[in-house]
Amino acid sequence: MLEQLLIFTRGGLILWTCKEIGNALKGSPIDTLIRSCLLEERSGAVSFNYDAPGAAYTLKWTFHNDLGLVFVAVYQRILHLLYVDDLLSMVKQSFSEVYDPKRMAYDDFDETFRQLRMEAEARAEELRKIKQLGKPVTGSVKKQGQVLKAGLEGGNKRVGEGGSKKDDGDGIKGKVSNLTNGHHSNENHKLGDDSQEGDLANGKENTSSNVAVDLSKLQKLRSKGVRGRGGVRKADSIGNKSSKVAAAEPAKKATKKNRVWDDAAPKQSKLDFTDSVDENGNNDHVEVVAADQGESMMDKEEVFSSDSESDDDDDDEPGSDEKPAEAKKKGWFSSVFQSITGKANLEKTDLGPALKALKERLMTKNVAEEIAEKLCESVEASLEGKKLSSFTRISSTVQAAMEDALVRILTPRRSIDILRDVHASKEQRKPYVVVFVGVNGVGKSTNLAKVAYWLQQHKVSVMMAACDTFRSGAVEQLRTHARRLQIPIFEKGYEKDPAVVAKEAIQEATRNGSDVVLVDTAGRMQDNEPLMRALSKLINLNQPDLVLFVGEALVGNDAVDQLSKFNQKLSDLSTSGNPRLIDGILLTKFDTIDDKVGAALSMVYISGSPVMFVGCGQSYTDLKKLNVKAIVKTLLK
Amino acid sequence: MDNWEDMKIVAEQWSKQGIEFVQQIPPPQLYAAIAVLLLATIWLFSVRLFRRTKSNTVLLSGLSGSGKTMLFYQLRDGSSHQGAVTSMEPNEGTFVLHYENIKKGKVRPVHLVDVPGHSRLRSKLEEYLPRAAAIVFVVDALEFLPNIRAVSEYLYDILTNASVVKNKVPVLLCCNKTDKITAHTKEFIRKQMEKEIEKLRGSRSAVSTADITNDFTLGIEGEVFSFSHCHNKVTVAEASGLTGEIDQVQAFIREHVKP
Repeated sequence: MLEQLLIFTRGGLILWTCKEIGNALKGSPIDTLIRSCLLEERSGAVSFNYDAPGAAYTLKWTFHNDLGLVFVAVYQRILHLLYVDDLLSMVKQSFSEVYDPKRMAYDDFDETFRQLRMEAEARAEELRKIKQLGKPVTGSVKKQGQVLKAGLEGGNKRVGEGGSKKDDGDGIKGKVSNLTNGHHSNENHKLGDDSQEGDLANGKENTSSNVAVDLSKLQKLRSKGVRGRGGVRKADSIGNKSSKVAAAEPAKKATKKNRVWDDAAPKQSKLDFTDSVDENGNNDHVEVVAADQGESMMDKEEVFSSDSESDDDDDDEPGSDEKPAEAKKKGWFSSVFQSITGKANLEKTDLGPALKALKERLMTKNVAEEIAEKLCESVEASLEGKKLSSFTRISSTVQAAMEDALVRILTPRRSIDILRDVHASKEQRKPYVVVFVGVNGVGKSTNLAKVAYWLQQHKVSVMMAACDTFRSGAVEQLRTHARRLQIPIFEKGYEKDPAVVAKEAIQEATRNGSDVVLVDTAGRMQDNEPLMRALSKLINLNQPDLVLFVGEALVGNDAVDQLSKFNQKLSDLSTSGNPRLIDGILLTKFDTIDDKVGAALSMVYISGSPVMFVGCGQSYTDLKKLNVKAIVKTLLK
Repeated sequence: MDNWEDMKIVAEQWSKQGIEFVQQIPPPQLYAAIAVLLLATIWLFSVRLFRRTKSNTVLLSGLSGSGKTMLFYQLRDGSSHQGAVTSMEPNEGTFVLHYENIKKGKVRPVHLVDVPGHSRLRSKLEEYLPRAAAIVFVVDALEFLPNIRAVSEYLYDILTNASVVKNKVPVLLCCNKTDKITAHTKEFIRKQMEKEIEKLRGSRSAVSTADITNDFTLGIEGEVFSFSHCHNKVTVAEASGLTGEIDQVQAFIREHVKP
C-alpha cells in the first residue's frame, strides 16, 4: 500500500497530495529525498531509501521537465510494490492534462487518482497471475515461504493458510489469498510448519494488504531448484558460512605478526637513524623558515585565464564522425530546423548521442566511468520531456544542463571555512584536531606541512602529531618540517599504537594551549581490513573535528573505490551510534595534471564531502582552494 | 541551384530599382528624411538611458527550511495552499501583493523572487542580487540557535556582496514561524546575529574565502558590529508564514517599491 503520493513544483509548492491515505509520514522523507538525491545529481537512480525512527520508506519519483513538476510516491520498504512506476507515469500523464500554472488546488484530481490506482493495482495483479500460472508449480512451500516472507507480513500468510478468512473488504487482498490457497492445494503443506515463520520481519500485522509480490525473487528461487526442506537447508548454509568466517577471524587475528616486506630476516632493531639530538633541537644544519616563503596561495586571488567561453561547438560531437555523411546532413538540417522553431520535446533518443559524447569527453578528463555514467543519467532525467527553447541546439541544452549539474555538485554543501571552526574551538578552549587519512603515497605528510604553514600565517598555533609509526622516516620527515616551521611536534617513535599517540598528543596540545593539532597517519589501502580497523579505532578514540581524506589528482577510477571503501569501513567499524565519516577532501598533485581534473569531480560526487584544499606543488606555499568555475570550464572544454 | 541564381538576379534588379528611386528624390526631402530618422533614434536611446526608474525586484532569501516559499505564496495569494517542500528552483512572479488587491488606484506590481536556500543552489542568488531593490532575509525563529552559524554566514555574504553595498539595498531580517510559542523574539535574534557577524569579521580575511570573495568588510574598525553600522538599512521584523501574519513584511516591501 502506498503511504503517500505527492505532486509538487520544482519551486517547492505542493500541488496535490493523496487525501485518501491519511497517514502522516514520519520524519521528513521528501525533504531528505530532495536534499540528498535530487540536488546531488542522483536523480537517475531507481529509488531512494529513507530511514526514520519508526519507519523505513522507499521513495520513487518521476519528473515532468516541461511543466517543472515532480511526482513522488512513498511506500514502506518491506513491501515490494511493482505497480508504483506504472502508477507514477500514468499520474504524470493525466495530471499534465489538468495542470494549469494559475491553479493551486486540484481537489478533483482525487477521483482520477483513485481510478488510476485501482487500474494499476489490477494490472499488476493480472501480470502476477499470468506469470504464476505460466510457470510449472514445482518446489516447495518453504521456497514460497521464503518469497512470501520477503514480500508480505506474517499476518497475511496466516490469512493464506487459514483459507477463507478475508480481511476488510479489499477485493485485491481477497484475490491474493485465494491464489495462495490455490497453490497450497497442490502441496497440502500448511505454512504453519514453516520454521522460518518466527523470524519474519513483520512491521505491521493487521491492516495492510498484500499486493503483487516480487516475482523476480520467486523466479530466481525456482530456477535454483530448491526443494522440500531446501529452504531450511539454504538458510542453514548461510548460517554456516557466516560462522565459518567468524571462526576464521580470530584465528587470523592471533597469528598477525609484524609486516615483513622482503623475505629477509626481520630486523628487530629500531628504525630510528637520526642524530641523537633532542626535539627543541639547536641543530645548526636546519634553516628556519619564518614567513619568508611569502603568502600561501590559499590567500591569493585565483587568476584564471579569461579565454573565450564561447564557441566550442566545433569540437562538440566527436562521435558524429562515424555517422554516414547523408544521415548527418539530414540530421543537421532537421536539428537546425527544430532549433529555430524550438517546438520539439526532448526525448531519450534525442538526448542519447549528445549525452554519450559528453560522457566520453568527461572520461577523457579522467572522471571515473561510473560517475560519468550516473551524471549523464541524472542530466537525462532532468531534461527528458522538456521543450527546446528556440534557437538552441540539443547539444547546447545538454551542455548547459551538465554545466549546471557540475557546478551544483562541486559547490560545497556546508561551509569550508576552517579558520572559523578553529576560532570556535579556541573559544571552547580545546584544540581543533585534524586527521589526515589516505592510501599510500598521496602526499599526506607534505600537505600536512603546507596546511601548518598556512595556519601559521593566520596566527594560529599549530602542533603536529606523528602517528605514522609504521613507515621508516615518517617521524623524521615531520620533525624536519616542524623544525623549519618552528612548531612543536609530538612523537613517540615507531612501532607504537597510533591511536594512543594521537590521544596523548591532543592532551599535550590542551596543556600547552595549541589551537590546532594536525595528526599524520600511515598510508593504507582501502581493502586492508586490519589497517582500516586501526584507523577507525584512532578516529573513534579521539573524535577529531575534521577527517581529511588526502587523494591525489592522478587517480582514475580507483578514486571511487577508495573513497567509498574508506567511508564504509569508517561507518561499519565505528563503535558509537554516529559514525564519523570523511568530512573533507584534500586534493594533491594538482600541478601534475594539466587539464585532466576529473578526479576532483569523482571524489566529490561519491563521498558528498567538499574539497577543502588543493595541493599544487611541493613547497610550503603551494596550497590553494578549489575554483569551481575553472574546474567546470576545464571539464567541459 | 537554378532557383538560387534566379533569385539572385531578381534581388539585384530590385536593389537597382531601389537605388534609382532614391536618386530621384529631390535632395532637400532626402536630407529631411534622414534628419528625422536620426533624431528619432537619438531620442529613443536617450530615453532608455535616462529612464532610471528604480527596479521593483524584491528577493526572498534565507536558509533552506526557513519558510521563504510559504511567505512567497502568502504574499501573492494570501494563503500558503498545501504547504511546501525544499525548493529546487527559484519562484518568481510579478504581481500586486494580495492585500493590496482590495485597494483602489494604481498600485505598482512587485517582482518577487524566492531564491532556494539550499547551499548547493547558492549561486542562483548571485544572479538576482544586482537587480534587487530590497532583500527580505528570512530566519527560522524556532530552529535559530542550532543553525546560527550558517545563518550568520549567509547574511554576512549578502551584506558584503558588491552590488548590495554599492546600491545600498535595504535588508529586512524577517523572523519567521513566530506563531509558535518557543520561537525567539526578534530582539534576541538581532543581538545574536550581531555577535556572530562580529566573530565572522574577525575570522574572514578580506580576500578569497572559500570560493566566494567577500569584496567588502562590514562595520567600523575597532567597534563591535551592529546593524546600524551598515551603509544599507537593516531592519528586523516578525512574521508567520503559516498563519498569514505578514503585515510588517508587506509594509517593508511597499515602502521600498514605490508606486
